[in-house]
Amino acid sequence: MKRAGAPHLFYGTAGIALVLLSWEMAARSGLVAPEALPAPTVAIAVAFRTIPTQDLLHDVTISLARVTAGFVIGGSLGVAIGIGAGWYRWFGAILRPLLELLRPIPPLAWIPMAIIWFGLGEPSKIFVIVLGAFFPVVTNAYKGMLGIDPTILRAAQTMGVHGFKLLLQVALPAAMPDIAIGLRIGWGLSFGILVAAELIAANSGLGYLIMHARELGQTSVIIFGILAIGSVNLTTDYFIGWLIRRSVGRWHAT
Amino acid sequence: MSSVASPTLPVTSASAVPQPKIEICGLTKRYDLPDGTSVTAIQNFDLAIKESEFVTLLGRSGCGKTTLLNMIAGLIKPTSGTLIVNGRPVTRPGDGKGMVFQQHALFPWLTAQGNVEFGCKSRGVPSAERRAIALQLLELVGLKGFEGKYPAALSGGMQQRVAIARALALDPDVLLMDEPFGSLDEMTRLDMQEELLRVWNARRKTVVFVTHSIWEAIILSDRIVVLATHPGRLRQEIVINVPRPRRRTDPRLIALHEEIWQQL
Amino acid sequence: MRGINRHRLVNVLIGGSFVALLLLAWEGAGEAGWISSYRFPVPTKLVDACWELATVGFPDGVTIWTHFITTFERILQGYGLALITAIPLGIIIGRIEVLDWMLLPVITFARSIATLSLLPLIITWFGAGELAKVLLIAYGCFWVMLTQTIAAVKYVDPIYIRAAETLEASSVGVFLRVVLPAALPRIFAGARTALGVGFMVIVGAEMIGTIKGLGALVMEARRFYRTDMTVAGMMMIGLLGFGISAGLLWLERWVLPWNRGLEQVRRS
Repeated sequence: MKRAGAPHLFYGTAGIALVLLSWEMAARSGLVAPEALPAPTVAIAVAFRTIPTQDLLHDVTISLARVTAGFVIGGSLGVAIGIGAGWYRWFGAILRPLLELLRPIPPLAWIPMAIIWFGLGEPSKIFVIVLGAFFPVVTNAYKGMLGIDPTILRAAQTMGVHGFKLLLQVALPAAMPDIAIGLRIGWGLSFGILVAAELIAANSGLGYLIMHARELGQTSVIIFGILAIGSVNLTTDYFIGWLIRRSVGRWHAT
Repeated sequence: MSSVASPTLPVTSASAVPQPKIEICGLTKRYDLPDGTSVTAIQNFDLAIKESEFVTLLGRSGCGKTTLLNMIAGLIKPTSGTLIVNGRPVTRPGDGKGMVFQQHALFPWLTAQGNVEFGCKSRGVPSAERRAIALQLLELVGLKGFEGKYPAALSGGMQQRVAIARALALDPDVLLMDEPFGSLDEMTRLDMQEELLRVWNARRKTVVFVTHSIWEAIILSDRIVVLATHPGRLRQEIVINVPRPRRRTDPRLIALHEEIWQQL
Repeated sequence: MRGINRHRLVNVLIGGSFVALLLLAWEGAGEAGWISSYRFPVPTKLVDACWELATVGFPDGVTIWTHFITTFERILQGYGLALITAIPLGIIIGRIEVLDWMLLPVITFARSIATLSLLPLIITWFGAGELAKVLLIAYGCFWVMLTQTIAAVKYVDPIYIRAAETLEASSVGVFLRVVLPAALPRIFAGARTALGVGFMVIVGAEMIGTIKGLGALVMEARRFYRTDMTVAGMMMIGLLGFGISAGLLWLERWVLPWNRGLEQVRRS
């Protein structure tokens, strides 16, 4: 659906340029109070001046480490359980109501209990991120498994492929598109939860950076933090999208 | 540049109608691709269709028959050539050109009745009159009692019937049908062919029918126009004078089928 | 048809009994002292906590109803704001291709911004009151709603438009009578997703410095070491979320009765 066309690129860049420009103008001309909304150039410059680059790097790394850890754990669990529940119907039947009961609870709501169980350190935040990644992944993996065209399974069976081999060689690839979508959504959600968790209960990381900056009234840093998070999110999502297109996208019309 | 009609059946004198219902002259449609080359979908096509005639455009996929039909309908603009329907040049869709698509294209958010009324509503026909027309047509296509159903609740055959009723609601001069039974199963397809003939007998519209099924063309049409592919152009015209209803067991038709099959 | 329903019933029973088993085991383990009832409040204690929430309230005087209503009100306001801005805008952008091209990167970026990360900024601008929360929710819901509406309008099956043209619909007619109704299912799907997002946002936002509201409830409960209340609060949150999405689904079935036959799985 993404056509690499000259008009798209042109208008797209124009659009972003317009927004950035009007922001810059509004800030410089005094339309908006510079303390409230500094111009993007100002914000970034001030942010870099205020925070030692080392600390910044530290915060970014910590945030990324948390979200990656949480995503890897939650994602793998989600994929494993989703596939298992979809392949072994009895397993799915047992688990499904339990998962359906737990799913409506937003991962953030688990934070207080996470703190009680794991204390105030890293594990509690990673736990919440694991939850955030888990549910979309398990839901989509399950749906993907259920949605496999039974005809191709039967076709493979007539060619002597059974049991575990059938799952690995036929079912899994067939369910891949849905699993990929689940992982992508899970990553995006993990990111949002990471930030929230760091805002609520952390003393390092990008979310904390923003919170702390607010207490100190450093609007520039806040804006910088917001933009930084957004950029990382966007880049990683784009990368995942690219990965998906390169692998699943070759045979599946996404 | 139309080839000479080569009928294999006794031809009665063609009824002399003063003005053809549809006149196609030198119609060409060429698509220019971004890389500089071009694809000619239809080349220099000539055809004259008489009032109340049932003409089928027959050919393999890629012979441009759908493009041709879309041009007659006014949905696509030709590259060159003239197209005259009912004495008026074709500039836009509608205006006496009713169309039935292969995917029924019924509006899912409207009931069968709502769908049939759609065209009348476009023309500003008052609601009581619209309703009467719609109900009458739905009864004609054998769907009395199904007016309030949504398309999703109807079978494939029923959906196409609604589509036909919808196209007829504006009392069109010509009825254009683009492989309307293509997505139906064989039984339903045969039923629908009979249905279509029945409806056509009740309202003798000029019909231009597109299909790739030789039998369908033979069962339904007064005249078959066979198209060649790459580029799409007229290959052969065949007039069928066997009276309807036609049987597949009729040796004349079997022979005709053979001949056309060889051609393609 | 009966066979399928019975199959479903069996499945629900299996899973349901599994859940019941878990609850019993949980209760038993708690009673026996195998697990700390502080860290894992047993089901009976949870029921008591729920009752307490309904009657006395937590913190004192603030019953579960107040919490529910506070949270729900915030969601409604933020969500409503997002809907009335995103849908018209989305329709316009979906129609005008140039606008779509221009705004795509902007929208994509704005969507990538973690909504809650804006809370400090919004508080700086608007103070720490209700408005900040409502605006935050509105922001989160807006982008999802916008993207889905744009897609809904853009990707209307062209066959419907062609059919409408052969039925002599005017350009305006095609837009109002065909494009909009055809786009509705996807707009609804976007509305459902947006509501989910808004819900997540408010729970998070309420966990930072408020006293009323479900998010605040769970945070406050922990501060007072009332784990039973915390978990009860979590359950209430889950209940509200479930209720809201069920409500929306019901509304959609009512507004779009014709969509029932067409289970179209849309990927966001």
